[in-house]
Amino acid sequence: MKAWQTAVERNRYYDSVFLMAVAHRLSGFEGIEEAAALMGSPSNKEILLGMGADEASVADASPSDLIIALRGDRDVVAGVLQDIEAWLVRPRTTLATSAAGSLDEALSRQSASNLAVISVPGEYAAAETEAALDRGLNAFLFSDHVSVEDEVALKKKAGEMGLIIMGPDCGTALIGGKGIGFANAVRRGPIGIVAASGTGLQEFACLVHQSGLGISHGLGTGGRDLSDSVGGLSTLTAIDALEEDPETEVIAIVSKPPGEATLRVISERLSQCAKPVVACFLGVGEACPNGHGSFEVCGTIDDAVSAALRLAGGMGGELEGLDHSQLEALAREEAGRMAAGQTYIRGLFAGGTFCYQAQSVLRDAGVTLHSNAPLEGVKSLGDSAASIGHSLVDMGADEFTVGTPHPMIDASRRAKRIAAEAEDPDVAVLLLDFILGFNASNDPAGDLADAVSSARRVAGSGGRHLCVVASVCGTDEDPQGLKSQIGILAEVGVHVFASNVRASSFARDVILLRTTGGG
Amino acid sequence: MPRLLELLRDGPVSINLGLVEFAEALEAQEAPVVHVDWTPPPLLDEETKAILDELL
Repeated sequence: MKAWQTAVERNRYYDSVFLMAVAHRLSGFEGIEEAAALMGSPSNKEILLGMGADEASVADASPSDLIIALRGDRDVVAGVLQDIEAWLVRPRTTLATSAAGSLDEALSRQSASNLAVISVPGEYAAAETEAALDRGLNAFLFSDHVSVEDEVALKKKAGEMGLIIMGPDCGTALIGGKGIGFANAVRRGPIGIVAASGTGLQEFACLVHQSGLGISHGLGTGGRDLSDSVGGLSTLTAIDALEEDPETEVIAIVSKPPGEATLRVISERLSQCAKPVVACFLGVGEACPNGHGSFEVCGTIDDAVSAALRLAGGMGGELEGLDHSQLEALAREEAGRMAAGQTYIRGLFAGGTFCYQAQSVLRDAGVTLHSNAPLEGVKSLGDSAASIGHSLVDMGADEFTVGTPHPMIDASRRAKRIAAEAEDPDVAVLLLDFILGFNASNDPAGDLADAVSSARRVAGSGGRHLCVVASVCGTDEDPQGLKSQIGILAEVGVHVFASNVRASSFARDVILLRTTGGG
Repeated sequence: MPRLLELLRDGPVSINLGLVEFAEALEAQEAPVVHVDWTPPPLLDEETKAILDELL
C-alpha cells in the first residue's frame, strides 16, 4: 500500500464542512487514492493515525493547524501538496455584511441579539455556549462531542437565566417561521413542536405544512436531553415556553424513547399542561404513561401529526396519495415481478429518526431486522458497512461521518452502498429517505438518481426486479422544491411516499408478500 | 419576561459562530444575523496559563 504524505499548515483554521469538501475534491484527483483535510485537534490526529498516517508527521500539529494528508502516486501527491493553496480557496460567501472578529464585537454590532448559533468543534463548544449564556443569549448548539457533565451544567445555568440550550447535537429549530440549521420552509401556524431529533422535527413540520396548517415554533433539544443523565432539562424549558407562547395552541413532543425516570417526569408535566398535548415517543407508543389520558399518545409521527391537526382545528391530516386497496394492488404487483430468492429489505437512511421509525414499522409486523442503530427487539448489525438479511442502516451515524460529510449534504457514500445492495440477489426492496431544506444538498434526489437507475438495471440484468421505495421530507417552499424532487425520483422508477411511515409500511407489505409466498 | 419567550416573540436575531452556511441560510430567510469569524483560542503553555489564572 502506498504511504501517506502529509503537510501541516500552521495557524490556518477552516471549518469541518469546508475541509470535507476539500478532501472530497482531492480524493477525486487523478493519482490520489485517499485524502484527508483536518484541523490538528487530538481527536482528528487519532483519526489520521487510524487511517495509517505517520505519527511523527502530525505529532506537533496544534488544533489551529491544518493537516492535509494524501495517499497515492508519490509525484502527484508531492505536486498537490506543493500547490495546496489552490485547493484552499473558499467559495465567496453570500453574506451581506463582513464577519465580526468575536462574540462581543458581534453583540456590539447587533445589540438586539437573542440567539447564538454554535457549530464550532466539539472541544470548544461548551466554552462558547457558556460565553453566550453569560451575555444573555439563548443557544442553538449544533456541535456534538460535548460531555454530559457540561451539557447538564449548561442547561441548569440556562434554566436559571430564563434561557434555553437547543442541543448539543441539535440539527433543527424553527423559530417564528425561520429555520435554523437543517430546517424546512414551513408556514406559520398554531402547532408548537418540541423534538429531540432533527429529522423528527423536520418530518413533523413538513407534514403539518402539507396538510394546510403551520408551525408556531419548533424547538430542538438535542438527542441526549431525554436520557436520564440529562433528565429532559431543555424539553421541560421548551414545554414551559410553548405553554406561555400566545401563538401556540397545541404542543407536540417527538422523540426517541426517553429514559424511564425522565419519561415519568415529562409525562407528569405534560398531563398538567394548560394546552392540548400530543406525545410521540418512537418505539414506546401506547406504553407511555399519559397522566390518565390528559394528553394524546401516538406511536408514529404521522399519527402525531393527525392528532395535532385535529386538536388545532385542522382537517384531521389525511395526506394525499393512493388509497389502501390501490397500495395493496401495487405491493402485489411489485412482489409478483421478483425472482425466487428476492426476500430482503435494505434501508439506507440519511435521517436517524427515519431509520428508527422504519424499524418500528417492520419490527411490529414480525420482521427480524438488523440495524447499526437498533431499536429494542432489533438485532445489532455487527459491521455497519455490510448488510445481513433484513437490514436498516442509519448512514448518518458516527461510524459513517468521521471526516466525511453527512449524507444529507453528500450522497456519495450512500450511492456506493446502493450499488452494493443491488448486487445482492436476495434483495427485494431498497428503502430510502430524501431530506430537503436549508443547508441540505441542493439536489438530494438528483444526487442519487443515477445510483438508483443503475441499481435497478443491475438487478434487471440478473433477471431480478428491484423495488425502490422512498419518502421525501420537504415542502414546495424549500429551496430544492418538493414536487421537482419527487419528479426526479419517479422518473427513475422510485415509489415515492409523503412520509417515512407510509414508505416503510409499503416496503413492509412487499416484504411480507415475499416472505409469506404471497408474491 | 424570560429571554426564551422574547426569542419566540421577536424571532431569531442571531450571532453565528462556526459554519458560515448557517448564517447564509438565516440571511436568505431575511432573519438578522452577524457571523463571527471564529478560530480556536490559542494554546497556552502551563506557565502562561498560571499567570493568566492569577491575573483573572
